[in-house]
Amino acid sequence: MYKLFSAFIGVLITIMILLNGVLSQKLGNYSSTFIIHLLGLTLMSFIVIAKKNKISFNKNIPIYLYSGGILGVFTILFNNISFNLLGASLTLALGLLGQSICSLVIDHYGVLGMRISKFKKEKLIGLIIIASGIVIMTIY
Amino acid sequence: MLIAIVVAITAGASIVIARNVNSILAEKDGLLTSTFFNYATGFSLSAVFLLISSESIKQSYDLMGTVPLWAYLGGLFGVAVVAISNIVTSKISAFYMSLIIFVGQLFTGIIIDYFALGILSIGKVLGGLLVVAGLIYNLYVDK
Repeated sequence: MYKLFSAFIGVLITIMILLNGVLSQKLGNYSSTFIIHLLGLTLMSFIVIAKKNKISFNKNIPIYLYSGGILGVFTILFNNISFNLLGASLTLALGLLGQSICSLVIDHYGVLGMRISKFKKEKLIGLIIIASGIVIMTIY
Repeated sequence: MLIAIVVAITAGASIVIARNVNSILAEKDGLLTSTFFNYATGFSLSAVFLLISSESIKQSYDLMGTVPLWAYLGGLFGVAVVAISNIVTSKISAFYMSLIIFVGQLFTGIIIDYFALGILSIGKVLGGLLVVAGLIYNLYVDK
């Protein structure tokens, strides 16, 4: 079920990138990033008010847990830099490599309090198949 | 060149870290709070970046009317992505989640290319099928 949700997130991301791409072509990378966040914040504010949800900064929670939005803006900035220097397909492939390495470390060590699922040697075969698929896509 | 490669890999890693950090905040303080703070902090930083960038705010403002209205919906899709990710991230392995999202992106891209542009990239279909095959194999190993 959660795997299905993940695939659905992928569908949403593709449409999002398409729409955001049109916006940034017309207005520029930084203007569009600002507008996208402004719209997102506006929507979230409406939902929070409609649900009468109280938003408060919780001092007992470590401050780095509030860094998600900051990281998201850096993701866009880094992607822009890489896109200009390396082109679209290499940016995508290297980004996926970064995601994979980071995910494997989180899974293996249970970083950030996540559930541990240790890396098994048998999985190397699957990883090689996955990597070859990505290489084919990038080269082709 | 090497710096560009490091930057691209870091961009990918930052996606995964942001997703995990947001989902832990959601578990502690609720889905709405976590998603709200994601946009509040992101909005603030993007405002700073816009101010120090070379982009003219006035020019962007004047051009806003020329952009088709549907192009502004990307921000709303983004909210859905962050909110659903907040729910899913703590439930399944980070690696499988990254890969399944990628597969979802890939095949949506292939379908959009086919219907909007009439292009069918054999390389993408073949590569995508290999990614799915490797993924299924590893899921099988885990069982």
